[in-house]
Amino acid sequence: MEKVLEVNQLSKSYGNILAINNLSFSVNRGEVYGLLGPNGSGKTTTLAVILDILKANMGNYRWFDKPMDKLTRRRIGSLIETPNFYPYLSLWDNLKIVARIKDAPDDDINYALGVTNLLKRKYSAYNTLSLGMKQRLAIASVLVGNPEILVLDEPTNGLDPEGFAEVRNIIQSQANEGKTIILASHILDEVEKVCSHVAILKSGDLIAHGRVGELLTTVDMVYIQSEEMEGLEQTLNNANFIKKVFKSDHDLAVVLESGYSATDLNKYCFDKGFALSKVLLKKQSLEDQFLQLVK
Amino acid sequence: MKKLFQLEKIKTLSYPAFKTLMIIHFLLFFLVVLIFSRVHFSIPGFSVKGLYQFPNIWEFFPWVASWFNLFLAIVVILLVGNEFSFRTFRQNVVNGLSRNDLITGKLIMIVTIAIYTFLMVLLAIIIFGMVYTNGITFNIVFEKSYLILIYFIQAIGYMTIGLLIALIFRNNALSIIMFLLYFAIIEPVLRLIFKAEARRFFPAKIISNLTPTPEFLTMTSEKSFTTSSGKSSLDFQEIGLMPESLPLGINVVLAAGFIGFFIALSYVITNKRNL
Repeated sequence: MEKVLEVNQLSKSYGNILAINNLSFSVNRGEVYGLLGPNGSGKTTTLAVILDILKANMGNYRWFDKPMDKLTRRRIGSLIETPNFYPYLSLWDNLKIVARIKDAPDDDINYALGVTNLLKRKYSAYNTLSLGMKQRLAIASVLVGNPEILVLDEPTNGLDPEGFAEVRNIIQSQANEGKTIILASHILDEVEKVCSHVAILKSGDLIAHGRVGELLTTVDMVYIQSEEMEGLEQTLNNANFIKKVFKSDHDLAVVLESGYSATDLNKYCFDKGFALSKVLLKKQSLEDQFLQLVK
Repeated sequence: MKKLFQLEKIKTLSYPAFKTLMIIHFLLFFLVVLIFSRVHFSIPGFSVKGLYQFPNIWEFFPWVASWFNLFLAIVVILLVGNEFSFRTFRQNVVNGLSRNDLITGKLIMIVTIAIYTFLMVLLAIIIFGMVYTNGITFNIVFEKSYLILIYFIQAIGYMTIGLLIALIFRNNALSIIMFLLYFAIIEPVLRLIFKAEARRFFPAKIISNLTPTPEFLTMTSEKSFTTSSGKSSLDFQEIGLMPESLPLGINVVLAAGFIGFFIALSYVITNKRNL
């Protein structure tokens, strides 16, 4: 698979504040790659660095296996932080500026406005739009020039549920057309529904990355207790049918590989000499998973 | 270049304040020259009509137009300040422009505005000159015609100072205030610190002196004031009241040098600072 972006040991600080620390990940063509993390985790900084808006203190990144240049920039459509347009210009004129910069034809403007359902308002001034429309225009500007890569920073920021769904549909339709999408968000639901891969950031550190299906799925958790908790935890860490074990209050929380049940776990513990005083099966929510990862 | 010109054209022509200020600039200039043409002074040897005749009109009209260079500078300040307020400089870089392109685009806009004002003054000169001049000959018409080109340089000079100030302060109101303060107070005060000879070399002085008061209007050529006792009690040049004049050619070269310096500084600032 072609690697479109490779990030190597990227670090960026603002004075004494380390915004991103030694990030390394890569994005392949066709992936919808999420950067997930709470506010202040370094998502926007990461995007700003790889788009050459900010300079990294250490590390490097490569687009299409080469450093960022003017031609590469044209292959990327990006939306960073709040959308920035000329308030006194119409939607058409604002997108015309984007089209001229990217050497794109005017037809692209109509296409972009069509995809984002803004064609009827193309001659309205930007400052007459609602927040949802402004966000959609921001996405339209990303689509002008038909870029191969879309980089979106919190595209659903400030939107109501209807706007949220509209933007999600747009992203999915672009993904279906084969575009590679890098999406930064703090909204778990957004990432889970749209992304194929995810990198989870916390306080500038990359704490997990991989397929969404592997990192963030609703799973069954088995909460167990025994008199010898430490010994039990050590034993379970060596079991090959157990995905993960961690302490949860007074319990041990166990995530089993698919195909195994709480009964199998109970039997295994008994065979190893541990009598379980508690066996409780619970579905761990996505939010619980995420919070567990960023704790 | 064509692309940058198109971009600036889209942004500028639709900006309401641009249209307002350029209309005011146009109307004020023509209003002043029209009103002045109706004024009658009863001063022996002086006729207002003479200012409207070739070749004096080549000095007079650019001098009048120079009063309104402030509007041109403010237009530039507003257009650049908006790019920071709206964060569109940053967005344009994200979309694919280089930082140098941002400044080059503004310079193209400055030259275009300067061409507009040049043509406006030229048109006025031709119209009024033809009406008021008797005995038109080629030599009389074109004798001092180079002065309008010098006005063109002056217009660019004011606007590049506006550009630099807007890039430094990034805020419309503050930039306009600093621009006015610089011309009205900061540089005049700074000049007083230096000797009379050195005062002639400050940028605002150099650029404003590109269109000096027309010789026709100069009331005195005395460098000092002589009292009834015959002694000079004041040296006008020493206290800065006398227009210190460099030869025009040197003035033009120095003005071009300052303009080049301001432009270079504009590029440096844009490349060094975060957008």
